[in-house]
Parts: sequence; structure tokens; C-alpha cells
Amino acid sequence: MVQHQHNTEWKVKLLGDHAIQFCLPEKIDPFIVEQIQHLNQYIMAQNLLFFKDCIPSYHTLTVIFDLNKLGKMTWKGTPYPIPLQLGQSLLKEFLADTNEVKKKETHQQVIQIPVCYDISLGSDLAIVAKENNIGIEDIIQKHCQPIYQVYCIGFLPGFAYMGKVDKAIQSPRHATPRPLVMAGSVGIAGAQTGIYPMNSPGGWKIIGRTPKTIFNKEMAPYAKFKMGDQVQFFPISLKEFTKQNEYAIEHT
Amino acid sequence: MQLNILKKGVADTLQDAGRYGFQHIGIPPCGYMDYLSAQLANIILGNPLEQVVFEIHFPASIFSFNEAVCICITGANFVPVVNEKSVELNTPIFIEANETLQFLQPIQGKICYLAVKGKIECNSWLKSQSYFLERIQTGMYFSVEKNNSSLPTIHHEWLQRIYKHIFQPSPIRFIPGPAWNDLDPASIQILLKKTFSTSLKSNRMGYAIQGEKLALLKPPTYLSSAVTKGTMQLLPSGEIMVLMADHQTIGGYANIGQIILLDLPKLAQLKNDTPFYWNIVSAEIAQQSYIEVQNEFHQYDKNH
Repeated sequence: MVQHQHNTEWKVKLLGDHAIQFCLPEKIDPFIVEQIQHLNQYIMAQNLLFFKDCIPSYHTLTVIFDLNKLGKMTWKGTPYPIPLQLGQSLLKEFLADTNEVKKKETHQQVIQIPVCYDISLGSDLAIVAKENNIGIEDIIQKHCQPIYQVYCIGFLPGFAYMGKVDKAIQSPRHATPRPLVMAGSVGIAGAQTGIYPMNSPGGWKIIGRTPKTIFNKEMAPYAKFKMGDQVQFFPISLKEFTKQNEYAIEHT
Repeated sequence: MQLNILKKGVADTLQDAGRYGFQHIGIPPCGYMDYLSAQLANIILGNPLEQVVFEIHFPASIFSFNEAVCICITGANFVPVVNEKSVELNTPIFIEANETLQFLQPIQGKICYLAVKGKIECNSWLKSQSYFLERIQTGMYFSVEKNNSSLPTIHHEWLQRIYKHIFQPSPIRFIPGPAWNDLDPASIQILLKKTFSTSLKSNRMGYAIQGEKLALLKPPTYLSSAVTKGTMQLLPSGEIMVLMADHQTIGGYANIGQIILLDLPKLAQLKNDTPFYWNIVSAEIAQQSYIEVQNEFHQYDKNH
């Protein structure tokens, strides 16, 4: 078994009056994402009723707490648990806990996502090609090659921020967001790539579209991706896209 | 009994205390914008404190009721009339069968709440009845399971005190956020000494604040991280955007502060262009004062 290393650079901060934030150094790093995930799993497993939400991101885990429930408790001689001290105490217990290593999934499957890179669906393909002085075929090849990691979920329900995109095809957001990006659109923003789960305004450069539903309001787990997932794209033809399109009803 | 929407308003919804436990998959918390007014409407009718209520913006929806029922209107004063006769806010109103409720003009505040004595039947999604992306539409109707329990006695002085938390002009208090020290010192002076106001570009997702522009010491390079109700984001334009109930779950703009929970209703109700000041407060004071006020609500909830 690989010896698990805990990061010693954790900090706990208050975020306003009803949240605490556990922070690691601010950088895009798979190891940091993994640490955030472990702490998230540890805190979720404590089943603390006064925690309303646990929100992981690149280098932070934010816990939203219920001040009302907290206000009705006593804790270590104080009238109610002081959130910052509570956070520090949780972190200490987490760092001392060796069991959490076992919780890590040993084998992770790569989620394969079909994308149609037809020019009619990838409205910014030409711009990305021109910016990077690269052919569209090369963009497709370079976008499909890496196994991306999901760093966090946000912006829209189920929207996964994935990285890293090959330097040769990176492209900044549009200066002004487009008023309508169609559900399923696959975009690039700098070193990140992601899929719009629903029709929305958006600023990412759109290079293709997936026929697969990314967020399903009616059925758990609702979102196709979660933090830490591994994702890879593969190209499909326009004909194949039309055949597989799960958004058909919304698009007409 | 049944409640009908004769005509839809501009942005009316049903809201409860919000949808928590799903922000990690990007689902906004939603919920009451001015939770004090919403809770007040429920308490006055003897309903559970955090029951679902109509949240009404101006121009407001027109409601009709097919049976006699008791309702309560709180929050903003949009001059409510029942069959063209004006009715009071913050008190039980007895509606007769087939009467119509409408709202004539926005005199004070921005968001009004309508509670019905009993329970409004509506769908629940992910443990909450709060609307997200949906709006109340013309022709919709809602069943109401009435209850005939006695109405609680609400002390006038207490009502006045709660009212002050929502409508008395005073600084909006906040706790400095992770990017506070990245603010230019001159900008900190502006923020703490000048007046600001909410702008037209405000909605349930966020309130756009207008005032003198603020600047960071260096160009921002923040990684996206979770935000909360009341997060003050500094946009590249130098303006502040305060995140409200329907906010996205993570954000990459400079997080310069969080408005305290007790002052969120006040900000939610501030009419556009009304000047206000900012004030820094400690987390301890913010937490204690919030818990105190909520305990008073729970006391009424329990006594009844």
C-alpha cells in the first residue's frame, strides 16, 4: 500500500458569518484536488446536522453551516460551537485519521464522452484555429487526446471545470459572453474545458457539442460528473450526433 | 380551497428556506430573499416558520381565492387591495370566496411575501419547494390545505423591532473576505466612507451595486472557489456584485467580503438608487445577533 501523505499546508478561515473554508495553496494541482476530496469525504462521513452544504473546488472546501442549529448547541464549555474552532478541530481529527486513506477508490474509470466537432455545432472552431495557427483536425485530435480531471462543479447545475487543455489549442473566453450557448456545447476557456449542461449565456469558445445529457433534473445523481472524475472526449460524425442526441426535444 | 393566478407578475415565485445539500453539483440554494419578512408572514398566521410562501416583485401577480381563507402580506409595501379595498401589511387578512388580491404600486421595499394560513400544495425538488429558473405563470392554480387553528398573539413592539431590521436605514454590515487585503488602500477608504446603492441590474441571482469604482492592488488571478448568499464580488469593471439567493455556487472574481445574514433582508429590500453605507462587523457579533433574532421567531413558533 502506498504511504499516504497528508498536506501540512491546510488553513481554516471564516467565510462570512455562516461558512468556513478549508484552504490549500492556490494552484491547479491534481494532488491538491485529491486532498480536498479526502477532507470532503471525511466531513461528509461525520454527518454533522448543522452542516448544510460542503462545496469542494480547486483548492478549497467550503462548508455552509446552519447558524440556528449551531446556536442551540453547547460545545466544549462555550454557549455554541465557535465555527472557526470547530473547523480547526475537524481538520486536526482528519489529519490524525489514517482510515480515510482506505476510502479512496483504487480504480477509477475514465468517463468517455462523444463530441461532434462539426463546424455547424462548434461555432468558435475557426476562431480557435486562427488564434493558435492550427488546423481544425489538429484541434479535434488535441482536444480528444488527454484524460481530463474534473476540478470542480459550478457555474450551472452539473457544469464541470476540467483540465488541462493542451497549450496548442488554449483560447481565452470571449470578451463579451454570447447570449445563448446550446445545451451540450463543449467549450474551452484558457486551460479549462467544459460542457454546458443547459441552454445558457456563456463566454467559453465553443468547439463542438455532445449528444449526451450532462444534467438530469429528474434522476439522481442529477449531474453526470463529480469532482475528481476522469473524462475523455472522442469524436463522432454529425450523423452519429443526430442519432444519439438526447437533447432533441429541447432543441426544436 | 384553490388559489388562482389571474395574471402573472414580472418575477414571482414560490420560496421556502432554500435548497441545501446540492451546491457541490452546482445547484444554487435559492430560498427567501428577505427571510425575515417571509418568516413573519408565517408566524402571524400560525404556520410553521419556514413554510413555502409566494415571493412577489413589482409589477405583481393578481391572485384570486375560490373560498374564504386567511392570508398575510409582509415585506415590501406594494399597496395590496382585496376587491379594490386596501388591506394592511403584517396582519391576518380574511378573504371571502371569489375575492381578488392585487398590488397597485411599489411604495416601500422591493420584495413582498404572501402567506396563506395552512399549506400551499406545490412540487418539491431536491428537498425544497423553492422555484429555480421557473416563474409563476398566468393560469396556474394551487391547492391550499387550510387549517383553522387559532391565530397567535404577536406583540406589537416585537413586530416593530423586526420591521426595523428590514427597513430602518442603517449601514449594511459585512465581514471582510479572502480578497480584502488585495484591495487598493484608497479603495478601502472609498468603500468605508462613501455611499453606494443597488442598481437596475439586480435580480434574485445578484444585486449590482453602483458607486465609486474600486480597484485591486494587482490583476486578479483567483481560482474559482465557493461563494455564499451575501458574497461581495469585485467585478473587473470595479463594481461590486452581491450574490443573492439564486447565486451560482462557485465564483472566480475577487471575494472582498460577505454581508452578514441579519442584514441580507435589508439589502434585498433596498430600492434602486437609495444610498447606503457599508460597515465592517465581527463574525461573533454577526452570529450572535442573528441567533438572537431567530430565537425570538422560534419562541413564537413553539408557543403556538
